[in-house]
Amino acid sequence: MANDQLNLGPLILILVLSGLILRYLFVTSQPQPQRRDPQAAHRAREEATQRILQIFPRVDRRSILWDLQRTGGNVDATTERILTGRLATPPITFQPPPPPPGSSITTAASSQPGHGAKLVESSSQPDLITRYNLQNKLSSVTAAEQQQPAVVDKKGKVWSSNKDERQAALQKRREDMILAARRKMEAKLAAQKNAPT
Amino acid sequence: MAQSTAHRRLLQEYKSLTNNPPDGITAGPVSEDDLLHWEALIEGPEETPFEGGIFPAELKFPKDYPLSPPTMKFTGWIFHPNVYKNGSVCISILHPPGEDPNHYEHASERWSPIQSVEKILISVMSMLAEPNDESPANIDAAKMWRERRDEYNDMVRQGVLKMLGL
Repeated sequence: MANDQLNLGPLILILVLSGLILRYLFVTSQPQPQRRDPQAAHRAREEATQRILQIFPRVDRRSILWDLQRTGGNVDATTERILTGRLATPPITFQPPPPPPGSSITTAASSQPGHGAKLVESSSQPDLITRYNLQNKLSSVTAAEQQQPAVVDKKGKVWSSNKDERQAALQKRREDMILAARRKMEAKLAAQKNAPT
Repeated sequence: MAQSTAHRRLLQEYKSLTNNPPDGITAGPVSEDDLLHWEALIEGPEETPFEGGIFPAELKFPKDYPLSPPTMKFTGWIFHPNVYKNGSVCISILHPPGEDPNHYEHASERWSPIQSVEKILISVMSMLAEPNDESPANIDAAKMWRERRDEYNDMVRQGVLKMLGL
């Protein structure tokens, strides 16, 4: 009898603890994506997928949907995962609904032209044009400036005895390098587009 | 104020990199007020998926440079077997002098005062072209590079475009 009473204390403790644990498990698993409106959620998911597909046309749509499902529809997180190569292959059981016939990539692009650019900017690493504030210089380059790059180069490469001049020359070399690469790539992309495949 | 060896040496290297810049490389101090902190731009090597891209990196020099090597970190997008996910470059020329305890690298490949910023940047450029499969820093990248090369190349090309704002 005395023994029984001694054991009662720990027993109650265990009961209370396991009750708490069970409660915790239930409570945490319950308030997950309580979709107010499955239709709206589906549309939002589809929109996010289209936006990602615009940037990465070669990535499998199913993989994107699977990843968006896991991140709760976070486009940035999924983009980051695609870029770092951590996009997981969805299980065979994951069968997303087919893309709605109306919302092809072209309609999405025409209705929201700024979306792709916005996405890139908001990711953790800004592109070089943004980082070096070259937006203005991108368009303002005239043919005259392109005709005499040799002179500019030579001037930029000579070591100046003035510290500020050196700094400015280095800054200019950096910007020129980025702008030249950007223009070259633009030309290459344009050529690819026009070339018959 | 007497200039330290590190400052004199870095200024001299800056000068030679300005007068005779290697192809596809622009490098110099972020500001001459702090010669121990540089920024470099490296062009993606031709005939590789990095071609056409520009990759920014920062170099941080220790006070006892050139006795000890600098550290180098890519500050933009990069996906490469020998670059950690935070951008840190893992390459033998940046490792302190002496023999590698693991015997992976020869002493001659490692840092010594006869190396230079220019040699580091050229080594990193050729590392972009030819990853070293023996000591991967980014396991995901190494795995993809080894097993799914097409996918890796695709991803690098997308990253190049992203960096150029395209």
